[in-house]
Amino acid sequence: MALLEVQNVSYSYEKNKPVLKNVSFRVEEGEHVAVIGHNGSGKSTLAKLLNALLIPASGTVTVDGFSSADKKSLFEIRKRVGLVFQNPDNQLVASIVEDDVAFGPENIGVKREEIKERIDFALSAVGMQDFLKASPMRLSGGQKQRIAIAGVLALKPKILVLDESTAMLDPAGRAEIAEVVKTLKKDGVTVISVTHYMDEAMTADRIFVLSKGEIIKTGSPKEVFSDRETLKAAELCVPLATSIADKLKENGVDVRGDVFTAEDLGAALCV
Amino acid sequence: MRITVEHLSYRYGEKDKNLTVPALCDVSLEINEGDFFGIIGKTGSGKSTFVQHINGLIKVQKDSGKVTVADFDLTDKKCDYKALRSRIGMVFQYPEYQLFAETVKEDVGFGLKNFRPDIKEDEAERLVKEAVELCGLNYDAIKDVSPFDLSGGQKRRVAIAGVIVSKPEVLVLDEPAAGLDPKGKEEFLQLLVKFHKTFAKTIIIVSHDMDLIAEYCNRAAVFKGGRITAVGTPKEIFSDYENVIDCGLQLPVTAAVVKTLKEKGVNIDCDFTVNSFVAAVKRFKDGGNL
Amino acid sequence: MRDVSFGSYYPAKSFVHNMDARAKILISIAFIVAVFLVRSFHFLGFAACAFFVVLSAVTARIPFFKVIKSIRTILFFIVLSAVLQVLFNKNGTPLWEGGFITDIGLINAGFIVARITLVVTGASLLTFTTTPVELADGIESLLTPLKLIKLPVHEFALIMSIALRFIPTLIDETDRIIKAQKARGADFESGNIFKRLKALIPVLIPLLISSFRRADELADAMDARCYAGSKNRTKYKKMKLSYRDIIGFIVIAGLITGVVFLNKFYIVLAVGV
Repeated sequence: MALLEVQNVSYSYEKNKPVLKNVSFRVEEGEHVAVIGHNGSGKSTLAKLLNALLIPASGTVTVDGFSSADKKSLFEIRKRVGLVFQNPDNQLVASIVEDDVAFGPENIGVKREEIKERIDFALSAVGMQDFLKASPMRLSGGQKQRIAIAGVLALKPKILVLDESTAMLDPAGRAEIAEVVKTLKKDGVTVISVTHYMDEAMTADRIFVLSKGEIIKTGSPKEVFSDRETLKAAELCVPLATSIADKLKENGVDVRGDVFTAEDLGAALCV
Repeated sequence: MRITVEHLSYRYGEKDKNLTVPALCDVSLEINEGDFFGIIGKTGSGKSTFVQHINGLIKVQKDSGKVTVADFDLTDKKCDYKALRSRIGMVFQYPEYQLFAETVKEDVGFGLKNFRPDIKEDEAERLVKEAVELCGLNYDAIKDVSPFDLSGGQKRRVAIAGVIVSKPEVLVLDEPAAGLDPKGKEEFLQLLVKFHKTFAKTIIIVSHDMDLIAEYCNRAAVFKGGRITAVGTPKEIFSDYENVIDCGLQLPVTAAVVKTLKEKGVNIDCDFTVNSFVAAVKRFKDGGNL
Repeated sequence: MRDVSFGSYYPAKSFVHNMDARAKILISIAFIVAVFLVRSFHFLGFAACAFFVVLSAVTARIPFFKVIKSIRTILFFIVLSAVLQVLFNKNGTPLWEGGFITDIGLINAGFIVARITLVVTGASLLTFTTTPVELADGIESLLTPLKLIKLPVHEFALIMSIALRFIPTLIDETDRIIKAQKARGADFESGNIFKRLKALIPVLIPLLISSFRRADELADAMDARCYAGSKNRTKYKKMKLSYRDIIGFIVIAGLITGVVFLNKFYIVLAVGV
């Protein structure tokens, strides 16, 4: 059984306006999946369904054998699926870093000595161990978001869901988060990044393309970004380097291989 | 309207000398009428502090330089800020968070009524309608709707309509594409180009997006630690790789590729817009050299 | 971004900073009681209290001008109370023939000034040496017995600490909205009071809406981190009383005893009581 199974899930906030329609997929342990889609495609709703913040109107979400439809497994699911949101300012509860990271473990009744260990573990995982006593207000956006990730990691989740967690960050902050994701993947954490930055999606093992509440394509970054029709239908676009490569080809310049980044394009033109 | 900034410095926390952090340090810059000007730099490099001086949202501190916009002297205590602000529109990050009125019509008209208290109702409505439609929305369909009932993208357009309603000659935008998806961003940039062609003779854009700067701006200034380290065309700025990297910025895709090729001994001469890059590569290729 | 330091916390390493927040809260309350115990005209009692404030400020390494500055915000209130006393006190002997200012009026005014000044400076020392978070934790801990009568002490404390956490964020946001509306020609500085209040609407409404949005997102973030009220919840921070707190208690007990003693065997400074 897969670590995360989403079966025929539909959801709507208002009657007759479904935000998600019959969505199904599974994510294996250790995978990195990116969910891309335009604003209003249902990405954030999907993220909230994964850790039982929302319960599907129909269909099931099963995490590690626990179904979110079962009220008793609510906390079992939330412990296993950590959800990090877009605005770092709106998810930090405490005025001191260590207190904020402690919030999750306190909620599930972890003993004091172990909370200390978990804080150290979580802060080192995001490279913020030197900010134990700092006030989040004085940190940069990227640092705040790393604290938010640490706050979730302190619950020792198996799956980390990043719901547009880089949307409000500057490039430096985005790079910091990308680095954290890389480390976590190495440590075997399953990562689901919900994003509309194509370069972030590039680093995933698989990409789900969400459009108007439906998954219209699943595949490796290569497969997805080669499928221009689907991307267009989903109101998304290829990375800039890819579109430049396309333009070059249209102009009769021979560009060999797949181009997704500036490095790819440089290499492709050098041969 | 020509904008001239001479030896501008600014310190936050002026009252407590121990806490002062210089946000700007001896900055001089001229922005000409007609410029599509980019202000780039890392977070905290002084960009926002700089642009807020231009319409007097931040006042020039004592003995800290001079800011002149057309014939407004911003160091003069008697400077008419209202008149100045009616001619310099400013769009902040996430402008949709400044919406407040009960209807779209009222919200968009807010600035107009502040700047021209004696304006006639039908004249005001005509201008509001024009602004809303310029932003790509259907005025008659949404004029009486609460701005809070609109979608995210529509909210942002209404907020921008509320800034351009006074047809400012200078439009300053702070990270205007933040939070937009790729399609939304593209549409928004087209909107800016439209403004630039019609009423907004000068556009000043603060952004982290180097591809955007390379594509749209004719001139730009790079900020680092409250100082300007480079001013010029995107071509000049992004050709100086060391400075760009040193300021904690990335190269636009085109410039990054040109740099890679240069290291391999291939010189591509272009101004780093996508079209000029493609044309230059093609020229080179047709010469049989690549 | 501007460094918004909330409250009046003055970071320093000192004896008083290291004291337990609960002890400091209790001592502050006791100090206020001491100030109110001082009976009219017994200015020596005030001198003892003032000595306590000076002693605390010195041990806390708070620059003296900081302590004095804390009165500034309510200076108007102090002056007003004093003036009212002077003008409307009918007791005592007029200072000059047929004058309306009496000696008792002046003494009463001085009394009120001394009382308010001492209470404010004393309380300011608490906030100078204790972070808002420590204060919230301290209050929660002190109120714990109230849980027995089913009062949601934990929830109150959480609300308080979240409010503290969000104050700087909201100050930043207010600043931004004010600037955005100013750029649209809003004028907050001219006109009469009603005009100015009306001018605040374009600031208050976006602020209110954004606060709701933030609250909503925060609730989701808390839920996502398994928040379920105080049930089965552990606490990471542990408060411990130390020798410092004992010394603090002894000093304040000394002060109260002193004030009571002075009340009994006072030296009459005033005439005609």
